[in-house]
Amino acid sequence: MADLHDQLEGVFQTIFNNDQLQLRDDMSPPDIPGWDSVAHVNLMFGIEQTFGIRFTGDELARLETIGELKRILASRMR
Amino acid sequence: MNAHFVQSASVQSALHQANQLLSANDCRGALEVCLSAADAYEHPPGALCLKIARCYQRLGDTDAMVHWALSAVDAGEEFAVWLACASLLKNVPAASLKARRSARLAVLSSYTTVQFVPLLQIAALRQGIALEIHEGPFGQYQQEVLNPSSVTYAFKPDFLLLAVDERETNLPNHCAQPLEAVEKEMARWRSLWQHAEENSTATIIQHNFALSPEDALGHLGSRLAGSRYRMLQELNRRLAEEAGENVLVLDCDRIAGTFGKERWFDPRYWLLSRQAVALDALPLLARHTAALLAARLGLSRKCLVLDLDNTLWGGTVGEDGVSGLQIGDGPKGEAYLAFQEYLRALKSKGIVLAVCSKNDEAAAKAPFEKHPRMLLRLDDFAAFVANWRPKPENLISISRTLNLGLDSFVFLDDNPAERLAMRRALPAVETPALPDDPALYVRALNRTLLFETAVLTEEDRRRAEQYAARAKADEARASAGSLADFYSSLKMQAIIEPISPEQLLRVVQLLGKTNQFNLTTRRHSLGTVSEFLKDPSCVHFTARLRDCFTDHGLVALLIAFVHGETLSIDTWLMSCRVIGRTLEFEMLRYLCEKGRERGCRSIRGLYIPTEKNGLVRDLFSDLGFRLIEETNGTTTWERSLDDESLPQRSFIQRVASFDALPEEINDGRLARPA
Repeated sequence: MADLHDQLEGVFQTIFNNDQLQLRDDMSPPDIPGWDSVAHVNLMFGIEQTFGIRFTGDELARLETIGELKRILASRMR
Repeated sequence: MNAHFVQSASVQSALHQANQLLSANDCRGALEVCLSAADAYEHPPGALCLKIARCYQRLGDTDAMVHWALSAVDAGEEFAVWLACASLLKNVPAASLKARRSARLAVLSSYTTVQFVPLLQIAALRQGIALEIHEGPFGQYQQEVLNPSSVTYAFKPDFLLLAVDERETNLPNHCAQPLEAVEKEMARWRSLWQHAEENSTATIIQHNFALSPEDALGHLGSRLAGSRYRMLQELNRRLAEEAGENVLVLDCDRIAGTFGKERWFDPRYWLLSRQAVALDALPLLARHTAALLAARLGLSRKCLVLDLDNTLWGGTVGEDGVSGLQIGDGPKGEAYLAFQEYLRALKSKGIVLAVCSKNDEAAAKAPFEKHPRMLLRLDDFAAFVANWRPKPENLISISRTLNLGLDSFVFLDDNPAERLAMRRALPAVETPALPDDPALYVRALNRTLLFETAVLTEEDRRRAEQYAARAKADEARASAGSLADFYSSLKMQAIIEPISPEQLLRVVQLLGKTNQFNLTTRRHSLGTVSEFLKDPSCVHFTARLRDCFTDHGLVALLIAFVHGETLSIDTWLMSCRVIGRTLEFEMLRYLCEKGRERGCRSIRGLYIPTEKNGLVRDLFSDLGFRLIEETNGTTTWERSLDDESLPQRSFIQRVASFDALPEEINDGRLARPA
């Protein structure tokens, strides 16, 4: 899970152009400056590429928290 | 999917360590960790390039930052990394980008291009083009083209990109009159091109239509003329056929096929945000679009320098002997043969081939002379260097022999150490990586897109012969007595005539890529030159040169304008392959005649210095012009038209058409159809 957290943080840092960005499980989109609809598309896609998984259309459109995102990732990568 | 971007453990741990050092504000430490991880790769992974670029940004080293951000382009087509690198480059001052050319491009699209625009910017910069991009409003490509006072036209683009997808075509799933339906759709695109041409001088880049992999008709789709599948194929064919000189067509259907259509078309992202092309395909699309731009701007590479052992054949000729080499037989031998076949095809479209090998010359030439399966022959190469000196040194000497700038060269070698040495010593030379397996050489070289050609002119087809002829002429110069004897022995003829419409493409090509003999380096576009031709005050002409070795084709251009009693030279350029043939005197003679016909009293010329045109700094002085002004290195010169004398006798016979070349050299190799 630590690996997953680090890798996910790496994607966020790349997409939001911020090396200092740190993720917490309770974070949601409004907590991260610059998370608009374009950044959202880039982010979800960047995650798919990094982890080699595919989100469903629903998952793509809706994202509540980082914790939830990590749960989806963990279940896909089993 | 995309498993190839999943990071290796060592890269992950380097990035993790770097992050910790960065949060402790130890930027140099982080940089060192990343650089040492990068050392293990010929092309380090994108995420590593990005991190290194970020470190350099924080350390204030812009040059290194730019270098590493652009290295991410070579690392692979990784969407998120490219996007991040593009945003690093966004605020870099133009001078630090060290672009070879700059251009203004308007992107008009039928789908979301927010992501595509920065990717295109970084792909273009990797090719040496600094793009200023205007992104049209979402989905409004038609309105922008049809409205003469649109923001797009006000932007004054040099290029207008129509990035459109098949959903945009008005073609039904099935149609009883398919030809009419296609014609109607074609008429719409034709009219858009016409509007764009009337309202701007931009060159149009038209993306053709990638055909979707989903089709309810299945295999029947390709058999029924009235199916949407067949109509789209027909539309693509018509786009290619009807695109005039001002329209470049990018074959998206082919790129999509190469990429994999089920990945190219990702319905989830279309539904989420109207992405017609999957995000992970955008870097590839950007690279192809940039390659076409580069070709049009004359930035494509002209010469491919090849190693021999294990590059052109399997084995080492010095050790294995000619009979021990792998060429032609067995899977490996066939792989080398296929590679030679591809190289020959490059040569026939005008790419100059050369050899640079660490070998004794006799040993290096032996396989070409003795091995029965060799496809390439010694006379396929314009230069052949085999010795034991460092390769960068040899490449410089090849560049001198052929009179081509280093940024015209690509170097291919199976040995990674030689590639590294070349990249370090001569970064202007492109040195792509080669895979270990020769079966993949063709693919690797093809993927570089370094030899993309926007048009194929007769000059392109014959270039390889012309460079070989140039080398021969240099030999003649060495053996001829005086320079005058040498010039006479070349039996030169020139056709000097006003620019004709058939010559326009070649003229624009010369304007785009001539650097050395170019007095003002004004990169006029096709649209601008077409305007010149209509302007009665414009005096313009081209020169074709032929000598006893070859027809060099259209190699020089002069554009001037009559201002009262003065004839002012706007542009004067000459291809590097005929420099030193006294053609400039012939052109001046012709210009003087035209000036007098127009009632002018004097000719005025301008020399604007660039990094590359030092060669012609003293041209006007040599031609008897008088210096009248100098500001910031730019010099203005004048020559009276009353002055009948020209400082040198003529060695070039001016003709209306060329005599046939002598039999012995016109052996069919020169006489390819246009």
